[in-house]
Amino acid sequence: MLPSAATLLVALTCLSLFAQSGSDVPERDKNSRLQRGREFLGLGAPPDPAAAARGEKLFARNCAFCHGSKATGAEGPNLIRSTLVLHDEKGEQIGPVVLKGRPDKGMPAFATMTPDQLYDLAEFLHQRVYETANRWGYQVQNIVTGNSQAGRGFFEAHCTACHSTTGDLAHIGSKYQPVDLQAVFLYPGTKLHVPDKLVLTLPTGERITGTLKHRDDFTISMVDNAGAVRSWPSDAVTVQIEDPLAGHLALLNVYTNEDMHNVLAYLVTLK
Amino acid sequence: MTLRRLLALIALASVHASAQILDPAKLLSPPTDTWPTYNGDYSGRRFSPLTQINAGNVNSLALAWTYRVSVSTLRGVPAVQIKSTPLAVNGVLYFTIPDHVWAVDARTGKELWHYSWVDQGGHLVGNRGVGMYGNWLYFLTPDGWFVSLNATNGKERWKVQVADARLQYFTTMAPLVIRNHVIIGVGGDAMDVPGYLEARDPETGALQWRWNTEPGPGEPGAETWPNAGAMEHGGGMTWLPGTYDPELNLLYWGTGNPNPVYAGQGRKGADLWTCSIVALNPDTGKLVWYFQASPHDTHDWDNVETPVLFDAEMGGHPRKLLAQAARNGLFFVLDRTSGKSVVTAPYVGSDWVERIDSNGQPVANPKKDPQPDGALLNIPGSGGTNWFAPSFNPETGLFYVNAERGHSLFYLTDTDAAPQGYAGDRQNLWSRSVLEAIDAVTGKIRWSHEFFKGGNFSGILNTAGKLLFTGDPFSNLIAFDPASGRILWHFHLSAAVTNGPMTFQLDGKQYLILGAGDTLYAFKLPRSAAESPGGSGKRPSAQ
Repeated sequence: MLPSAATLLVALTCLSLFAQSGSDVPERDKNSRLQRGREFLGLGAPPDPAAAARGEKLFARNCAFCHGSKATGAEGPNLIRSTLVLHDEKGEQIGPVVLKGRPDKGMPAFATMTPDQLYDLAEFLHQRVYETANRWGYQVQNIVTGNSQAGRGFFEAHCTACHSTTGDLAHIGSKYQPVDLQAVFLYPGTKLHVPDKLVLTLPTGERITGTLKHRDDFTISMVDNAGAVRSWPSDAVTVQIEDPLAGHLALLNVYTNEDMHNVLAYLVTLK
Repeated sequence: MTLRRLLALIALASVHASAQILDPAKLLSPPTDTWPTYNGDYSGRRFSPLTQINAGNVNSLALAWTYRVSVSTLRGVPAVQIKSTPLAVNGVLYFTIPDHVWAVDARTGKELWHYSWVDQGGHLVGNRGVGMYGNWLYFLTPDGWFVSLNATNGKERWKVQVADARLQYFTTMAPLVIRNHVIIGVGGDAMDVPGYLEARDPETGALQWRWNTEPGPGEPGAETWPNAGAMEHGGGMTWLPGTYDPELNLLYWGTGNPNPVYAGQGRKGADLWTCSIVALNPDTGKLVWYFQASPHDTHDWDNVETPVLFDAEMGGHPRKLLAQAARNGLFFVLDRTSGKSVVTAPYVGSDWVERIDSNGQPVANPKKDPQPDGALLNIPGSGGTNWFAPSFNPETGLFYVNAERGHSLFYLTDTDAAPQGYAGDRQNLWSRSVLEAIDAVTGKIRWSHEFFKGGNFSGILNTAGKLLFTGDPFSNLIAFDPASGRILWHFHLSAAVTNGPMTFQLDGKQYLILGAGDTLYAFKLPRSAAESPGGSGKRPSAQ
């Protein structure tokens, strides 16, 4: 079953309400996600970004040749998974190793490093640990990899009964970042609240239409067309549910990865 | 008998004088007046032979008491949730949340003592409960400490560190006591650390043995990894309690996903013994057999779900079997003497499986591995089920699991040749929770009950009263007929059921206990119903 025009209107209203309105929103969201992750993981205070930036330059000049530019190891060991680095707070364990080196393992001494430089190096390593451990900060890479012509073909075969690129989906490509657009076109319920429509029949035969508010095995409640919230025991009424997203749900069993990437490539062109 | 063993026995006998001692024989019989371990007994069935509360009188079941924990927030988690299954020993319930242990009077819900721990890091995602030996309780803290408490008063007896939280290990499981071994496992996916399982001395906490989830270089299994570095950072956590067959003297344990979690390019091969069911000798920690449920997993599908033990006739022969509803969406039945596959059958969508091989193991479809631009799967991102306890009912022969149907996207975010950490992400698209009753011998779904939304994390309890208790995603506690799936009774709680319900009989009364969010609930029959013929402990007539 494909969504009806009326429910699409609901979806569209939601779409425009929820579309990102300013560029500061993703940044703020990202920071709050990172903080949530830091607390959950018990990572303590975040690294000092200015010190980490200075440390990165020092690392590139002095350490990257052996330990890799991202400190994930090359000739020398991976430092991000190093027990010593993970136990270090502010350079108190990393510093002495850098100053004295590990001659037995072929690591030279960096005896002229100042305490400030050692701190900066340590903060850079902690920044790299943080970027690895705190998955709330991971970035999905470029996902617009499909063929937009093929995507248009899929869209015309499966979507145009309900959607129009000049109507409800006009400018959809500029309303969402690609990663959100991929989730929302596959199943709008990931980002938007799209309630089911229903026709409910009382024992008296009276029929009430509206939108579903709650349904479990024991209770059903709805907002009727007059805007009133009403509830019944589930077994006292018969209901006919129309899921406006049923078409999306059915298509989840149809898409190949290629179809999905092609449709996304097409939708992002709708600027 | 050595002098040391004799002294230990004398010590045990003298502790017997105090009220709280757990009789070790209780661990070897089905749970009735005692619920002495996470799953009630070693089998993992969560089946109680009690019948006072039964299909004929469940309609009269009434609230006896509630106990709301005094902790309102935990660092980094959105809500306080009792995920532990309480132990019930000599009329006292022992249960936990991360950093906290409580003892409450099973008759009244009155607090007897409260122990709290101040963590220095670690994850507060959950705690499954305590283990018990004699008069001693065992508790794992979020930051990797193994703590022994005096069950009589909650006083700390000793503590030893068993995992390093600075390396992102954390510990949540309910210690499992087998004779004089306290078995403990670890969690931790964020920094590519190796998994292990340990046996510790119940008197001192000293290490008895450690079994590593990954082999060492040159050892059997090493051929399933590309190099020593990948193996040393290969993950495979051991974070849910396993099961035990006393006759075979085999300990069964599920192991977690390999690391890096979503990125397989740096660990090509099957990655043993991650995502496996292993059988170990509990006295030595030596591996006896293994069955790998997800060779080279790339979806974070820990295979730690309870390996449930049961016996059945197959083709006229009695068989010792083990069944698991795995997070990867497959139901596995194994011969638990050998680890050989008996049945592999999907219980939810499993389009990530290209085929099942002759060993009963899935062969993954590479197109369903996480991709930089996304891979679409017909199973929820968190898998077909998770930590919440399943149950097996020997009267119906059915295995019950709270499963999740759905669709999700998997992304690979770290395409480096040597990726690290989770290295990817997932996006749930749509899901629905469904209670499934699976024929434990054939793997066929006998009945299922779909709820009207997703996210059900409730455990399951079966009783000989012809009842199955579990929660739904709408904060209802529900009693089902385990044979037909028909709903017989429900009660609306303050939050959804967050642990595995358990039951025991005390002073002639059967109690049903469960955790919902921050509150422990106790139910029993009113006197009139408990004394009616159906409630006298006799088997109920067929409904």
